[in-house]
Amino acid sequence: MRLTGPLERVLRVLTADPSAQHYGYDLMKSARLPSGTLYPMLARLQQEGLVQSEWEAQREDAGGRPPRKYYRLTAEGARVARLELAHASTQARRAAQGIAARPVEEGTR
Amino acid sequence: MSGTPHAQRIAERLIRASCRRLPGELRAERCREWSAELPAILHDETIRPGLIRALRALSYSVGVSTATRRLSRAAGRSRSARAPEWRDGAMHVRPGNLAVRATVGAAAWLLTVFLTVSLLRAFPSHGWAVVISLVSAAAFAVFCLADLARADAVRYLPKWAWALICIAQIPSGGIAYLSVGRVGRARPAPSGHPAQLP
Repeated sequence: MRLTGPLERVLRVLTADPSAQHYGYDLMKSARLPSGTLYPMLARLQQEGLVQSEWEAQREDAGGRPPRKYYRLTAEGARVARLELAHASTQARRAAQGIAARPVEEGTR
Repeated sequence: MSGTPHAQRIAERLIRASCRRLPGELRAERCREWSAELPAILHDETIRPGLIRALRALSYSVGVSTATRRLSRAAGRSRSARAPEWRDGAMHVRPGNLAVRATVGAAAWLLTVFLTVSLLRAFPSHGWAVVISLVSAAAFAVFCLADLARADAVRYLPKWAWALICIAQIPSGGIAYLSVGRVGRARPAPSGHPAQLP
């Protein structure tokens, strides 16, 4: 799994509360992604077994709203996402330190 | 808020049209999922005014069209892992096919020349005409490059060569790529490929 910027944002939203149910538009707003990026990504994650989806049960108080499809991380997905996100933030920190502390001789050599 | 039902209808129609691209087992379910998101967007009180919500719903359904294109391409890719013939077929051009493509390309080029000349004639001060020409030239180049980047395969030349041509010769390079180098979606597919389904 290659952690791209959009994927990282989706995983951050999903791991914030692994038991929470998110529908597509909700994820689009929280991860600030367009629908054309989000849905293929969710489909891929689902295919890899990291995300599961289920249809909302039809409720009486829904006001005639059609049932939505909800997404959340699987147990495996939560584990992988935490690892990947931790890895990404260590790398980002290391890169930031690297830029700050890059020795001058590296350029002259 | 009078625009909301209209926006919902148009957005639903767009979503249904995009879902036709998907293979049968996905189509109905995806269509249901995406249509169910529309009320949430159209009644999202954090977006004001209502007109913006309506536009958001429309842009959502345009994005769905991108999503279906990617999803059907992904489905095609997993299929081609088993049966690679449609990808090989894509690199094969019959001469008649090429003549048609070249003619279409030449016609497109003549049309751009004609449009540019009439644009320059139509505006007495050339400032605006130049701005419009530059913006549309840039948009066209970006469109060609985006199409190139997303293509699974191109004909005759490697991708980087087509990219150079598209940038070096605006617009004729881009037209050449679109008419000759581009592998269209209507490829010689075996039956059952999602692009062939109604």
